[in-house]
Amino acid sequence: MIEFQNVSYAYNKGYGVNNLNMSIDEGEFTFLIGPTGSGKTTLMRLIYFDLLPDTGIVKINGYLSNKLTARNISKARTSIGMVFQDYKLLGDRNLFENVALPLHVLGFKGGDIPGRVEEALELVGLDGKEQHLPGELSGGEQQRACLARAIIKEPEIILADEPTGNLDPVASFELVRLLETIHETGTTILMASHNYNLIKGRGCPIYELKDGILRVR
Amino acid sequence: MDKFLYLLTEGVKNTWRHKMTTFTAIFSLFIALYIVGLLATAGNNTYKVLHYLRSKYKIEVFFKQDVSNEEAVGLIHRIKKIKGVRTATIIEKEDAMRIFKDQFGENITDILGYNPLPVSAVVNVDRTRKDPLRVEPIIKEIRTMDRVEEIRYQGNLINKIEMNYKRISDRFPYFSGIIILIAVLIIYNTIKLSVYSRRDLIQSLQLIGATRLFVKLPFIIEGIFIGLISVILVFPALIGTVKGLNYMVSNFTSLSIKLTFDTSVWIWLFTLVVVITLIGSYRAASSFLK
Repeated sequence: MIEFQNVSYAYNKGYGVNNLNMSIDEGEFTFLIGPTGSGKTTLMRLIYFDLLPDTGIVKINGYLSNKLTARNISKARTSIGMVFQDYKLLGDRNLFENVALPLHVLGFKGGDIPGRVEEALELVGLDGKEQHLPGELSGGEQQRACLARAIIKEPEIILADEPTGNLDPVASFELVRLLETIHETGTTILMASHNYNLIKGRGCPIYELKDGILRVR
Repeated sequence: MDKFLYLLTEGVKNTWRHKMTTFTAIFSLFIALYIVGLLATAGNNTYKVLHYLRSKYKIEVFFKQDVSNEEAVGLIHRIKKIKGVRTATIIEKEDAMRIFKDQFGENITDILGYNPLPVSAVVNVDRTRKDPLRVEPIIKEIRTMDRVEEIRYQGNLINKIEMNYKRISDRFPYFSGIIILIAVLIIYNTIKLSVYSRRDLIQSLQLIGATRLFVKLPFIIEGIFIGLISVILVFPALIGTVKGLNYMVSNFTSLSIKLTFDTSVWIWLFTLVVVITLIGSYRAASSFLK
């Protein structure tokens, strides 16, 4: 599902990740922890092919980083749902339009979209807020909207990059619970966080990333 | 089909979502197109104005006192053959007397007892040529006729008009080239700025797996839509300007020139704006795509 083979990536100004080897099986819920600047986001970006490794191979759902075309990258991303710390919701569209966006990208028929959006919003507890703009929602609600946008296309993998970074403890806990609920449907989830207290004791594998080097905790 | 319809409506909706950006873009494009349109209209009408002014050029040829009306007809026939002469009309002695009476209210034969006014001719020059007209060669040739007493013409004025026409027509292509280039740059950069203000949308679309075409198409549609609104607004503005100028010319001057607006200018502007907005929005969206 997600496989890293001797992957290194360096930015111009310093190291990103160094000689990573990692494998996450289908349906696994994995945590990735590490302090700020340790390379968590770099690792995530390598998974959704926003970055391509300098050395080594990243293999995601059968797509190999060394055999990618621009079209393949788009295709590979359609099976990945992403949740970001800064939400990346479009401020000029309401909640319905934001959540429906992946379905338009995938070419869903207009008539099938409202039902699916309603379902996704209900799952994250935002039903009834379809017409709200992102700016009218709290941080926790925006993050849940971001999650709804990620799950609406029923992805095989969900990547959550510091999704609780801007949330209070209660909202953070609720979000992890939500991710666990989604995981129960068989979705592979990789969540990055620097908050160890939030993820410990959940019975999931935890990878620790420090200075670009990965180890199992 | 659903995807294409979505992208089409997205392109149009974006203009409404970003009203301020859209308004600024339409305004900038309108100004640029209006200036180019005015320039093209001026270019179209320059020759018309010159044609009108040339119709006012008049060379008066006075024959010697003893030249009879019949002999003058022969001389006029020779004048007509000179290169650059359009018409030559005889003013017989009797006609000259009538003109004198019309202008001064007196019958000259009653005062002097005879008609001293000579037979003359009014020569009009060819007004259709595109290159500057020179009357001196015509005058020189008429002077070679020994039965001609005097020639009167507005030499300085004609030369001034023709020289200015030459100056304008020589520089016009360069000047309009610069203006069009500036307009193209304004349109291109306006579209680019409009796309730049929404680079987060491009990034988000890419992250959820949108293809490059899916990302670009709404921007292209939006760009063309903005361009079309601008060019549609420019059309009445240019017609209004031409009508306003015609109103001022006919009411506040003695000129009887009627400026026209050639619809091919609008078609030309239409094509220009579609091509530039298409290329501009395509390139701008591409530059923010990874």
